[in-house]
Amino acid sequence: MSNCHGNHEHGNCKTTGLCPIVTFPEVVNIDEIRDEIPEVKTFYLSFPNKDVEREFRIRSGQFIMCTVFGAGEFAVSLPPSPENDRFHISVRAVGKVTHALHALKPGDKLGVRGPFGNGFPFDEIKGKNIIYVAGGIGLIPLRSSIVHALQHREDFGRIILLYGARSSKDLMYQPDIKVWQENAGFETFITIDRAEEGWHGETGYVNQLIEKAKVPVDNSVAFVCGPPVMFNSVIGEFLKRGMSEDAIISTLERQMKCGIGKCQHCAVGRTLVCTDGPVYTYRQIKTLGEQI
Amino acid sequence: MSMYILSSDEISQLVTELQASYAVYGPQVEPQTRQVFFDLINDATALDLEAPIPSMPVKEILFPQMERILKYKYDAETQSVEMARQYFEQPKVLFGLRPCDLAGIQALDRFFLGQEFVDDVYLTHRRQCLLISNTCLHPFPQCFCVCTHSGPDADEGFDLDLTKLADGYLVKVGSEKGRALADAHNWTPAKPQQLSEQKAVVDKCIDLFPDMATDNKAWVSRVMNRITTGFIKSETWEYIGDQCLECGACSFVCPTCSCFNIEDAQTECGECERLRTRDSCSFEGYARMAGDHNPRQPVEDRRNKRFFCKLSYSQSKKYLRPGCVGCGRCQWVCPGDIGLPNVVQYIRREITGGEA
Repeated sequence: MSNCHGNHEHGNCKTTGLCPIVTFPEVVNIDEIRDEIPEVKTFYLSFPNKDVEREFRIRSGQFIMCTVFGAGEFAVSLPPSPENDRFHISVRAVGKVTHALHALKPGDKLGVRGPFGNGFPFDEIKGKNIIYVAGGIGLIPLRSSIVHALQHREDFGRIILLYGARSSKDLMYQPDIKVWQENAGFETFITIDRAEEGWHGETGYVNQLIEKAKVPVDNSVAFVCGPPVMFNSVIGEFLKRGMSEDAIISTLERQMKCGIGKCQHCAVGRTLVCTDGPVYTYRQIKTLGEQI
Repeated sequence: MSMYILSSDEISQLVTELQASYAVYGPQVEPQTRQVFFDLINDATALDLEAPIPSMPVKEILFPQMERILKYKYDAETQSVEMARQYFEQPKVLFGLRPCDLAGIQALDRFFLGQEFVDDVYLTHRRQCLLISNTCLHPFPQCFCVCTHSGPDADEGFDLDLTKLADGYLVKVGSEKGRALADAHNWTPAKPQQLSEQKAVVDKCIDLFPDMATDNKAWVSRVMNRITTGFIKSETWEYIGDQCLECGACSFVCPTCSCFNIEDAQTECGECERLRTRDSCSFEGYARMAGDHNPRQPVEDRRNKRFFCKLSYSQSKKYLRPGCVGCGRCQWVCPGDIGLPNVVQYIRREITGGEA
């Protein structure tokens, strides 16, 4: 199962079983840049090469390697839904390459390799309740799955979002959230750490929302993504309520250089996050023997 | 398997002949330092098939310390980019590989070419490469290939295999490429007694290994079992970790270590090169992410990762052999005392309660 996009004619795919975009970056154009929250911007991208654009298909939960020319390459999760969504990435400026990315303007070019990784289960969880739990920018990798699930609303039971951030300024994807809150088939619970003027929603931490949302544990899956401290408290709460370890799913983040299982920087336990992950169940995470 | 017997002159002729269409690499002794390097051969007489194992593993030629894999130029004004794959492509012959280095290349082949994805940079180096191995007639200091099933002679993976006998070199053909080479020459077929002579040479070599190496043989697999199941006390890892200076030398001299880093470097003319450089899992920043979150902190944790990689069943499944080929180079270079054979000793001591 190589990560080819189907059109085997355009490159070394035939001889090596490798689609060129896996190892050779494809140029993309930055169409639009949006400020999300402090330090986080969303970049809307398009492929000048329309053949590649047609063949470039993603699964929720996968990631790409993104080149900022002159600075380097970084791994970034994909927030767009696999169907009918604009191709974009949301990135916090933390290191050398991501700061260089934030300095770019519309019309600048980036390089893209991928998509890589296993992605979130979709067909396997049909008929179940889905609980999304996100903290801060942990909503970025979950967005893809959320939008995809809402596009196939009839395939699932209850769909619940528990989302928390430090303050109202730190809530990602606010236009999306407004749309989601008006969607009768989507139960959204949003909290910020401390009360603020003008904030009428919940206050406190995300794990407290589990009680409030009356989260079902039977026939449910939980997708959890956020800082380690949030992750641990949320998992503790779910396990206390009797949720199965296989039903708690998260996506791991690691230093990555190649994306194709060769550089070994993302080795965790006996697995590589780039090819065996980044999506793991809590039962798997427990056996990895490393910090989240 | 076809076998031939070649004189030293015929070997030299073969080298000269191969030089016409290949870059030929082989062991050479540097006159001033007496160090052995596996390097490009300019003059066929410089090839020394009796030299000890080279200081650096032969992986250097197929997986260099640093190599350019991409070149690009970004023009911020016009917002345009030119990009091209660019790496050193040349047919190569590795002439006179020691069996341990050959086993290392086989492990790298299985890792880079045999997993879900194919590494196209390594493939480019490897696909036009001819491997000619050379049986060891006696062990060199620190050698323990008898413990890891990678010497003193090679039984697979070569195109041609040489063994020095009393009246010339016994040449075994091990592949289609080797077959084609033999067919193009009028080499003398070997006699059955010369094959027995080769077996005797190998047996004699095995007898010359120091007791520690032969004694460790069964222990390597017992230690593999322990490492795989995780039944090793944290004190043992701490004892090992205490001796690690995080220099990374063990990874750089290891024939099977394959971790690399990728970095984009600006060149003078406004162009950029994407460089792939070897990396070591013992470095503190190995797994550190932007924002300084580092999931691997203590040195003993990073140490046990390396030995897990060398000596566990799950990794061995990727290489179809242990990740260690018994060349002993890590033992030479380690400023502490945690070369792989010593780590086996420490774990052995733990298992036997300090008796052995």
